[in-house]
Amino acid sequence: MRTAERMRPLAGSPRLAERRVGARTELWTETVGDPPPVYGERWTTVGGRSYREFDPHRSKLSAAVVRGWAGPLPRPGERWLYLGAASGSTASHVADLVGPDGRVYALERSLRPFARLWALTERWPNLLPILADARDVEGYQELVPPVDGVYADIAQPDQVEIVRAARDALVGGRAGTVLLALKGSSMGRDRPPAAHAAAAEASLASSLDLAATVKLDPFHRAHFFLGGTSRGGAAAPRAAPARLTPRRGRFRAPRGR
Amino acid sequence: MALAVVLAAGPNVFLLSSSGDAPRSFGRADRSSALPAALVDAVRALPSGERVGGAGAGLRAELAERTRRPIDAVGSADLRAARNRVAWLQGPEERTYLRSLAEHALATALRSPVEVLITLAREEERVERSVERERRAAEAFLGVEDSSLDEYARAWTEHRGRVAAHHRRLESLLEGEARRTLPNLTALVGPRVAARLLAHAGSLEALGRLRGPRLQLLGARRRPSAERGPRFGVIYRADRMDDVPPVRRAAYARSLAALAAIGARADATTHANVAGLLVARRDRRIHDLLRRRA
Repeated sequence: MRTAERMRPLAGSPRLAERRVGARTELWTETVGDPPPVYGERWTTVGGRSYREFDPHRSKLSAAVVRGWAGPLPRPGERWLYLGAASGSTASHVADLVGPDGRVYALERSLRPFARLWALTERWPNLLPILADARDVEGYQELVPPVDGVYADIAQPDQVEIVRAARDALVGGRAGTVLLALKGSSMGRDRPPAAHAAAAEASLASSLDLAATVKLDPFHRAHFFLGGTSRGGAAAPRAAPARLTPRRGRFRAPRGR
Repeated sequence: MALAVVLAAGPNVFLLSSSGDAPRSFGRADRSSALPAALVDAVRALPSGERVGGAGAGLRAELAERTRRPIDAVGSADLRAARNRVAWLQGPEERTYLRSLAEHALATALRSPVEVLITLAREEERVERSVERERRAAEAFLGVEDSSLDEYARAWTEHRGRVAAHHRRLESLLEGEARRTLPNLTALVGPRVAARLLAHAGSLEALGRLRGPRLQLLGARRRPSAERGPRFGVIYRADRMDDVPPVRRAAYARSLAALAAIGARADATTHANVAGLLVARRDRRIHDLLRRRA
């Protein structure tokens, strides 16, 4: 039988812990919610604290940490806006990371995943569901107080613009973090995924101190994890959020000529 | 959790929650037999001229009876107005508020005919699969007379009969909804396939925007080989597909998908009745394909 070592909290986020089991290293988050497991993940209790396994195959945030993400992570007591929460597998872990004093405002647009997210928020006291389109910043900003960070996992071609609009509206000129799980294959096939990631970096670099972008292979193919912290008090928030038009139909890459 | 939202027309807004069983159906949080005293007291304390609203019909009725004042239904607009009035809510009130707003929005959205049809289509697909699986298993079952297996087989047959009856009821429910929501498409491909096409497209608008070739591939998952793309979509289960000889089914699927795209577009946009026209074209195509075989 392999011996499991004790949980070692990570410096970037104290409620995120790693544990050596034999040759493997597992990630765990100290949970805020109640059992049963959200998506079949393992639960354990170590030293009176409940932990849930944070599987890199199931979550892009976990994959980013495993692949050596050195940038900021959600920390206890912070308020986060989570765009694209789906049924809440990663959102519940982000809620774990911000702890009982933090808040996660989880946005999802699709009804059926949202129904599961809503049911989950009954067991996660700091996870708050909002049925809204991430593009519709004006629609949901009255529901969300100013936040410390925006986490986005929205596989859309204009995901960088969506995140920027959310950041401008809800972080504004204060210091705040943006984390973005970028899906390269949703951004058109006119360029390779890495080029999309580079373009996203370039477009965010003016407002954020970016950490080194992490590639999420082999856990999530053609995905990248990027983000950073904005300098507080520097840029004033825009008067009105950029209007994002709802996308109709399938995304088609512009034909190069 | 039964959520109660109490609104007042004046400057005061109360958001209270009462705990109870978790209902699995949205928008029907009526398990309010244990009405919290704090909620009743809060409503009693409101000035008599002010409007009071509550979420959940059962909770409203009970609250109205206990406090002897009318309790209105709360809409999304009321909840948003309440939110604007109190700026940022703190702690448990914020959670109660956002959860009840989300529940309300979800129930409203899921109640629309299109979403009802999508839900029915998914259920029908699941039940159909289980009926088919059980039927195959029953065929392969090796029963022996005069043993306890006999008794087991009888119970199993009875169980399958019940599931089959459930499936038939589900199908007739689905057919009614499909004929109301997608009249043209249903006339062309049948209610089951029409509902599944809608479920795969995601919304009526999305279905109305599809071209024939895309519609033909809805629901197709596997690639037959590395060189060839996915082929057999939902449309291969359409009405009258069995009348076409197997070698002509691909040709028929292409024509039918093109007609279905027209029908879906009519159902999504103009609501014109083109069913007769489409069915005539479909039947003529089948006639041609059958003749070509000779």
